[in-house]
Amino acid sequence: MFNLIRNEWMKILHRPGTYVMAGLLILAVIISTVLFLFIDSTFGEGEEITWQQSLEMDNEQIQETLETGGYDPYIPSAEGALAINEYRLANDLPPNSAKSIWTYLENNSFMLALVGLFAIIMASGIVAGEFSWGTIKLLMIRPIARWKILLSKFMTVATFALAMSGILVILLLILGFVFYDSGTTTRLIYENGSVVEGSMIPYLVKVYIFNSIDVILLATMAFMISAVFRNSSMAIGISLFLYFVGGSATGFIAMYYDWAKYSLFANTNLSLYEMGMPVVEGMTMTFSVIMILIYFTLFVTLAFTVFTKRDISA
Amino acid sequence: MTQQSIVQLRDVTKTIRGKTIIDKVTFDVYGGEVFGFLGPNGAGKTTTIRMIVGLMKLTDGDVLIEGKSIQKDFEDAVQHVGAIVENPEMYKFLSGYKNLVHYARMYKGISKEKIDEVVKLVGLEKRINEKVKTYSLGMRQRLGIAQSLLHDPKVLILDEPTNGLDPAGIREIRDYIRKLAKERGMAVIVSSHLLSEMEMMCDRIGIIQKGKLIDVQTMRDFVSTKGQLFKLEVSQPEDVKEKVVQYNSDWTVEVVERSLVIDMTKEQIPDLVRWCAANDIDVYGVSPATKTLEDRFLEVTSQEGAGTHV
Repeated sequence: MFNLIRNEWMKILHRPGTYVMAGLLILAVIISTVLFLFIDSTFGEGEEITWQQSLEMDNEQIQETLETGGYDPYIPSAEGALAINEYRLANDLPPNSAKSIWTYLENNSFMLALVGLFAIIMASGIVAGEFSWGTIKLLMIRPIARWKILLSKFMTVATFALAMSGILVILLLILGFVFYDSGTTTRLIYENGSVVEGSMIPYLVKVYIFNSIDVILLATMAFMISAVFRNSSMAIGISLFLYFVGGSATGFIAMYYDWAKYSLFANTNLSLYEMGMPVVEGMTMTFSVIMILIYFTLFVTLAFTVFTKRDISA
Repeated sequence: MTQQSIVQLRDVTKTIRGKTIIDKVTFDVYGGEVFGFLGPNGAGKTTTIRMIVGLMKLTDGDVLIEGKSIQKDFEDAVQHVGAIVENPEMYKFLSGYKNLVHYARMYKGISKEKIDEVVKLVGLEKRINEKVKTYSLGMRQRLGIAQSLLHDPKVLILDEPTNGLDPAGIREIRDYIRKLAKERGMAVIVSSHLLSEMEMMCDRIGIIQKGKLIDVQTMRDFVSTKGQLFKLEVSQPEDVKEKVVQYNSDWTVEVVERSLVIDMTKEQIPDLVRWCAANDIDVYGVSPATKTLEDRFLEVTSQEGAGTHV
């Protein structure tokens, strides 16, 4: 298995597309960092107020919203925000400013979408490519069962996505340490009516993992389409289409129909449960995790059964 | 030369969407021989080859390689097989050497020395570190043969191995294939459209048409037909032909260049020669005539075609 994955990596590393992807990722992070720095320096100056003053102003606004009744969905988080702000003022714990590395890391978690995009492209091509190159015939006449070859390709996509995420995180950390101050690692959470002190690090890890779920599933789906239909444009097309419109389409359907909760995209954003606003009323985190596992198993089973059974006549 | 059957096809059948593409094909290929697989386009050569190497599943029957079933024991069976299926398609963005490393990693215990040895064998030393996209078709063919020999297979399956080679290259590959069969006792299965090529390369041939194996014979038996042909070299073939027909009306006599080709038995030769002498016919030579593989191939396939297809 190790040798098979090494083979796949050798093929990946000898194609220029891989380096273009890595280059684009690095470029995107640099541009995003420059933009954030620019925005901070332009809008951050002017008003000279302390963090205490700013929090008090915040609290007044929240109080107002709560008193006028606001509307329902925001009340839990508004109460939480109020409690956290009061806790900060009482214990002299300043929040992380826009200039801290933690805010920077959190703001740039959306960059994972780019890694996901590249993982989808890689997953779409890794099986279908062998068919279009005609090399599949020479690949499949080795004394290695078909499922092992497919598994090695799946693992290669996974390691590729990990490597890209690694590049992203390391680059963000380097740029973060260079351009931002260290801030505080203490993070306040409003839990069961009281404020608890936590750490930024597990929180950020969670943010990054939650941000990867939809992409992992879509890459798995792209891989499945690639293995079943042996056509990379189809795999890229369908997966990217769903990637861009799946979420909003599901959100739209969910306004009218309950069954939208069985859609893949209604379940991939687990952070919605943290904020207490599921796509469809009554959905729980457990339900979504189960749905995610069902979809994942479905894609993987389809890919493996069809790929190991079908004749290679290309 | 060992006469041990290495590849056994038993009633191999392939049905695609209710249509029988390959119908109960049975034959053996022995160690040390080059087996030619002949057939018109679309007869099922490639499908059969794909089933032997496990790229396509069998609907019925079995393929045994060294006694191991390709269906039940895929990994054990296919490790004895080296093959090129259709064109030798390689990773064009990798160098020739890296392509070989790629395939070598898929077997147990293939050393660097082994790769170098194979490269030398096919004569690609100078260009092996260049990318495959810079290779000519002939070089790709050689690289294809190199990858099929990495693991010292017992069976070598080559689909159109001389495709795209120049005459010198064709000869080289042909000699090389024969050498592998004779010296290493490999069973080699070759398919080709070039019948003259097959005639020089193969020990035995199997002819497949419309999915059925219609004939398996040694090349010698196949080419020299059952009712033997003899060539009588004379000065005025046209005139002599008339006389010969009168002499024995059972024979079919044809004029080929400056000779008569007569369908007769060996025992009749002395009488014929005496008769010629008595009738003042100058005989320059009598020799057995063989038909070319092409003649025979067209004969056999057209007969069968007429029989099964109305």
